[in-house]
Amino acid sequence: MLSQERIQLMTKMASYEEHEGKKYMAIGSYFRSDYIGLQIIKSIICATLAYLVLFGMYLFYEFENFMQDIYKMDLLEFGKSVLFYYFIFVLIYGVISYVVYSYRYHKAKKSLKRYYHHLKQLAAMYDLETRK
Amino acid sequence: MSSLLEMREKVRKFYSKYEVYLTPLFKFILALISLLCINANLGYMERLSGSIIIVLVVALMCSFLPRNFIALLSAAFVSGHLYAVSLECGIVAIGIFLLMFVLYFRFSPKDTLIVVLLPICFLLRIPYVIPIVAGLLCAPVSVVSVSCGTIAYYLIRYVHENEATISNLEAEEGVARFRYVIDGILGNKEMLVMIIAFAAIVITVYFIRRLSVDHSWTIGMVVGAVLGVVILLMGDLVYNTQMSIAGLILGMVVSLLIAKIIQFFAFNVDYSRTEYVQFEDDEYYYYVKAVPKNSVAQAQKRVKKITSVL
Repeated sequence: MLSQERIQLMTKMASYEEHEGKKYMAIGSYFRSDYIGLQIIKSIICATLAYLVLFGMYLFYEFENFMQDIYKMDLLEFGKSVLFYYFIFVLIYGVISYVVYSYRYHKAKKSLKRYYHHLKQLAAMYDLETRK
Repeated sequence: MSSLLEMREKVRKFYSKYEVYLTPLFKFILALISLLCINANLGYMERLSGSIIIVLVVALMCSFLPRNFIALLSAAFVSGHLYAVSLECGIVAIGIFLLMFVLYFRFSPKDTLIVVLLPICFLLRIPYVIPIVAGLLCAPVSVVSVSCGTIAYYLIRYVHENEATISNLEAEEGVARFRYVIDGILGNKEMLVMIIAFAAIVITVYFIRRLSVDHSWTIGMVVGAVLGVVILLMGDLVYNTQMSIAGLILGMVVSLLIAKIIQFFAFNVDYSRTEYVQFEDDEYYYYVKAVPKNSVAQAQKRVKKITSVL
């Protein structure tokens, strides 16, 4: 039999599944560590790409000075400093990503908790109806 | 006022009824305006700006693709035009856009809209509307998007103004060209002042509109606008940015008016009916301020059928 209360709840849930729920369910299907880990790996790849772009632009900008000093400079030391700045850059970006994605995971879980509560309510309604 | 509210309801209903068609239409219009502005200001690559058909096709593509593609394709158009000026300009443009997309827009892809709208508003001389509205509707982190939009605009403007000088540099002087473009962008004091002013506007508007005082949105946007004017004038004094004071104030006033219209749609409450309630549970005391939204019931048309039995 049709129940107005049940239909209202189902409509609300369907709307949630269609809109914000879609995004949150994708996040909620991961364990916390898996989700944040995956996002941090993506962040590291992005940061590496960004650093390469920045480094390439810096090299091109300083090309003349670089070519003049290339025989004088300590290339090993230069390589070390490039790597050092790379790690600092990736570390800072990684920490920011960790904070952002931890917050997003927390938000998604909180939102999904409400959804699961509605799901339980719905199951209870069906249960009650079948008993009648 | 009630007729305005009624109109707002009508607009809302109309939008929700035809959302499926209106959203692609708006995306198409935005992409079209953005690409036409880019072609009008840069237009160095004949293949992109030569015929309107390419712009129309790309804009049509944008209407069906996700919203971020407007920013992506606009960036591609800018890079293409700058590449036509010189390879080095193209490299700088691609580098800057790549950094924006890879580092920031990965976190908040929705903010790409700000980067598209800001250069358009700059051309309309009302760029201040974007930081004010970002402060009203977004989070403080949108400071980054506003800054990215400002950088994109000044990159376009710099190349537009210095195209002749860049082209006149010898072809062998690739590094000199590259340095010229980078120095021109990084050393642009006007851009720096704009970024600082916009950041101050976004943060001020955001924090004031979150306060629990009546008319916080209006106070926020006015204070933000005044602060913006003060910072821009100070910047003009310190760096001699040659800013038109009349243009600045007029632009700010128009921006405030637009922000007010957006506020009318996004946040319209009746402070005269504010209620303060206080209650408690096991863990907390609650001091609640409830401000009712302004709304009117739309006049309903009734069709009365009169039938007569002969």
